[in-house]
Amino acid sequence: MVCIRRATVDDLLAMQACNLMCLPENYQMKYYLYHILSWPQLLYVAEDYNGRIVGYVLAKMDEESNECHGHITSLAVLRTHRKLGLATKLMTAAQAAMEQVYEAEYVSLHVRRSNRAAFHLYTETLGYKIHDVEAKYYADGEDAYDMRKYFKGKQNHQHSHGHHHHHHGGGCCSGDAVETTQPEDAKATTSK
Amino acid sequence: MNGFFRVSSDQTCLILLAAYEELKTLAYSVCSVRVEKGRFRKCRLLCSAARRVEKRIVRHSFFFVASSLSKSKKMGASLPTKEANLFKLIVKSYETKQYKKGLKAADAILKKFPSHGETLSMKGLTLNCMDRKTEAYELVRLGVKNDIKSHVCWHVLGLLYRSDREYREAIKCYRNALRIEPDNLEILRDLSLLQAQMRDLSGFVETRQQLLTLKPNHRMNWIGFAVSQHLNSNASKAVEILEAFEGTLEDDYPPENELCEHTEMILYKVSLLEESGAFDKALEELHRKESKIVDKLSYKEQEVSLLSKLGRLEEAKKLYRVLLSINPDNYRYYEGLQKCLELYSENGQYSSDQMEKLNALYQSLSEQYTRSSAVKRIPLDFLQDESFKKAVGKYIKPLLTKGVPSLFSDISSLYDHPRKPDILEQLLIEMENSIRTTGSYPGSDVKEPPSTLLWTLFFLAQHYDKRGQYDVALGKIDEAIAHTPTVIDLYSVKSRIMKHAGDLTAAAALADEARCMDLADRYINSECVKRMLQANQVALAEKTAVLFTKEGDQINNLHDMQCMWYDLASGDSYFRQGDLGRALKKFLAVEKHYSDIHEDQFDFHSYCLRKMTLRSYVDMLKFQDRLHSFPYFHKAAVKAIRCYLKLHDSPKSTAEEDEMSKLAPAQKKKIKKQKKAEARAKKEAEGKSEESTASVVSKSGKRNVKPVDPDPHGEKLIQVEEPMAEASKYLRLLQKYSPNSLETHLLSFEVNMRKQKFLLAFQAVKQLLKLDAENPDSHRSLVKFFLKTGSTSAPTTEAEKLRWSVLEAERPSISQLQNKSLVEANKEFLARHEVSLVHRAAYAEMLYLLDPSKKTESIKIIEDSTNKVVQLNGALGLAREWKLKDCIAVHKLLDTVLLDSEAASRWKARCAEYFPCSTYFEGKRSSVMPDSVYNSSRKSNENGDTPSHPMGQTELSDGQLEALKSLSAST
Repeated sequence: MVCIRRATVDDLLAMQACNLMCLPENYQMKYYLYHILSWPQLLYVAEDYNGRIVGYVLAKMDEESNECHGHITSLAVLRTHRKLGLATKLMTAAQAAMEQVYEAEYVSLHVRRSNRAAFHLYTETLGYKIHDVEAKYYADGEDAYDMRKYFKGKQNHQHSHGHHHHHHGGGCCSGDAVETTQPEDAKATTSK
Repeated sequence: MNGFFRVSSDQTCLILLAAYEELKTLAYSVCSVRVEKGRFRKCRLLCSAARRVEKRIVRHSFFFVASSLSKSKKMGASLPTKEANLFKLIVKSYETKQYKKGLKAADAILKKFPSHGETLSMKGLTLNCMDRKTEAYELVRLGVKNDIKSHVCWHVLGLLYRSDREYREAIKCYRNALRIEPDNLEILRDLSLLQAQMRDLSGFVETRQQLLTLKPNHRMNWIGFAVSQHLNSNASKAVEILEAFEGTLEDDYPPENELCEHTEMILYKVSLLEESGAFDKALEELHRKESKIVDKLSYKEQEVSLLSKLGRLEEAKKLYRVLLSINPDNYRYYEGLQKCLELYSENGQYSSDQMEKLNALYQSLSEQYTRSSAVKRIPLDFLQDESFKKAVGKYIKPLLTKGVPSLFSDISSLYDHPRKPDILEQLLIEMENSIRTTGSYPGSDVKEPPSTLLWTLFFLAQHYDKRGQYDVALGKIDEAIAHTPTVIDLYSVKSRIMKHAGDLTAAAALADEARCMDLADRYINSECVKRMLQANQVALAEKTAVLFTKEGDQINNLHDMQCMWYDLASGDSYFRQGDLGRALKKFLAVEKHYSDIHEDQFDFHSYCLRKMTLRSYVDMLKFQDRLHSFPYFHKAAVKAIRCYLKLHDSPKSTAEEDEMSKLAPAQKKKIKKQKKAEARAKKEAEGKSEESTASVVSKSGKRNVKPVDPDPHGEKLIQVEEPMAEASKYLRLLQKYSPNSLETHLLSFEVNMRKQKFLLAFQAVKQLLKLDAENPDSHRSLVKFFLKTGSTSAPTTEAEKLRWSVLEAERPSISQLQNKSLVEANKEFLARHEVSLVHRAAYAEMLYLLDPSKKTESIKIIEDSTNKVVQLNGALGLAREWKLKDCIAVHKLLDTVLLDSEAASRWKARCAEYFPCSTYFEGKRSSVMPDSVYNSSRKSNENGDTPSHPMGQTELSDGQLEALKSLSAST
């Protein structure tokens, strides 16, 4: 059994270690701090029965876009802890927070074209659709799928870029809360 | 330094400026690299992001470069108009990072007014950004000297110190600046950040109060003052401030776009009330503001915590059930629910009545939350015997059928229980037999897929590994591999068993086999790298690790990304191989990561006040305050101190020769060759570093080349004059942050004995006895200490006399030594632990130390130890008590302390029987045997070969492909 709960600051070192164990896209601690100090509701961890962090999701709200939306920065589950549905549980929890706290219209993520296991999870289990293909998005030259999932009751907004939406999207899309901007190199992948 | 000349009049502008500066720098510096490499896409994204922010800034009507400096009436006042304008240009150029331009303007002023203090200061500050540090300090100091009454000069000097993380000096400078300009908001704000960083909490309160007094119409100043009070342990004062602030707000507050911030503020206030013990007020506040809180989950979690603390358990119970229906996988909710039902015990011990109630509770919960595994797992902790056996069988079976690889680790904590491991073994053997004979679980007629046997064997292998029956474990895992050779997890587990059994070479080879089965999976790559390092194959490990790092400076990427497990594992490897320089380099790298992470908090002192994420912010500060108690740092500091101890014990010149003399001639040759190559590489690197220093400042004056590490292999580190002084630095951190670790005080003992600081060493001994008096190392330290201090001749100096009298006074307080000689104390120690190998070894070592003529007796004590059988019920061989690492330690004791090579080889032969896979004891099934499949001379993939690339095609034979298909069809 693995516990799924919101991450605390004390989890960040273990999240970073988990990321370095399984994903090729890595970040310095400051980037994790930036996430939890900006959107504390959007970080979740999977903690195994011995108290070890075996998976996490790191997500954020996009402040630059006209449509208030969330973005999955990184999702990882240790290879040893597959087949427990952890990725689905982590994603569902983060998505729910985006929708409930920030009234996000949709959530986006990037995934390697070759990462079929992750692609399958996003499309089949979680209901994401390909929005665009970003050629040579990854450092090794691989393309990324830019994927999106619209939240319930928001599908009709799909083609209304630039319109004003009535939402109470707090810090998310408020006029002047520009963040200490970070590299847009957030890539979501699962360890297969 | 971004946005340091912040606009005092408008907070928004400040935020935008900071963001703009950062983004622009980032975008353009990333782009210059990317363009070279043809990564235009990313470049475009970043540049357009930078442009977007730029546009927004321009849109802001009040955006004009209006720094506190250029606005200040006094600034540049002493200069004529032309020069005053030039001065403004310096400031502007500095802000826009056009350093060359700024420099030109500064020189133009200085031509006419060579001693103008503020210009000198600004020139220095500009040079600082161009990596000309020495000149920078000279100029800024001269500036202060020439115009000691200028707050600008003091402010600039403060900024210079701040850029070098010299916060104490920076604070002094700001204070001087404020003496001249007491109400300068800019300087006050900068000072408050440093006070927060340095945890000068009373100073922080003072500064924040001043800021609020000067600008009470800013939300940030109210919040800042409240937070400062909170940090200074005055939560109720913080509540008062927040309430006063709320009093200034309109009824319809907040506007739509600030709901999140407002939510955070309310929740922060509630948490403050909770912290100050006013639970009822906190709950009241929470309820009153419910409609304004958009984070409903935090609301509920806060509410349930308050209800529990107020003893309103009925309501809390209901709420926990609500929370469980939202997330039935959060075991903190189960714990909370149990507490409300008064069915919770810290140590997991329950009466039979409680157990029944608990069982009933989880029964009903499992019907409610069918998809939750927690409701099925938790009862395994409290159930006993028959009911445990039934429940654990029910838990395990579907997971084996499904093939969940983490099943064993999920229930491994049950192995601490005295009877549960036996029950599990019995159960699993029954299941294994039943599946083999009938294809179904016992008592069932549902046919299991073929993979169920595989996962049952996989489980059993880990079970026997846990019990120390490595040969049985290997039998099980080998059968599983023969069953389905394509399941990668099998090789990973076999690798782990081999490691436990003492064959690190074989473990690394197996991990590499696993890695090659899926080159795109970083996890198995990391695992393999770890095993290679454990087997001292550093070069190969490095080559394997970099397969997953980005292009460019490969191994540095691991460093840049703060990959601490790698630093530690390779440091350990170098340490074992006697390369103390490289080992230290790695351990100190971890220390550097920690100080960088500690530094990271700086930017968030102001950021969080704007963003209002105050609960997380305060958590972050607490996290930072005990950062050095986290395990990676602890390990790195311990290892670094061990390196320094070794350096101290083996004087520089001979250490290397010693190592060399032990080696075979062929190896010597190899090492010499390696050294030559390194020297060459070093020379080249030095050449490059000269070049790069020259090209550090490019046209724009931006840094674009990373400085080359002048000591990549730690050669300078081991030249340190006083290793014990270095060790003491890290020791102090351990003493502060890991006071409950035995190792901390063991090291303190070792270091202080070498420094002849006997009173400090005595403190360490006392701590050791307090933490674990029966630990063999505690005992060793005690005996060594009193032997050493007792044998020194009568005190002559005043200090010695003082020390002697302190020890005389303290000795009776040590119960082990009351009215006893050391020899007697040692004997009693043995009497208490007669059956334990490690205690016998400690006794023998001390016996010999106290009286070298007792050598034969010492050796006999060790050799007379018996390795008891602890596990009899399995028909599959037996488990014995002794641990491999203890046996190795005893061998080293015989060989290097008691200096009896015959006894050592007798011991070796004996242990080779217990541990047939151990390479150390040259067991007959270990990879040092010439007929082993893992013998390195038989393996083609020797140290240094290039491993296959992860993105390449995995090579599988046709047979393997078929097997893979059949497996995926069967699961």
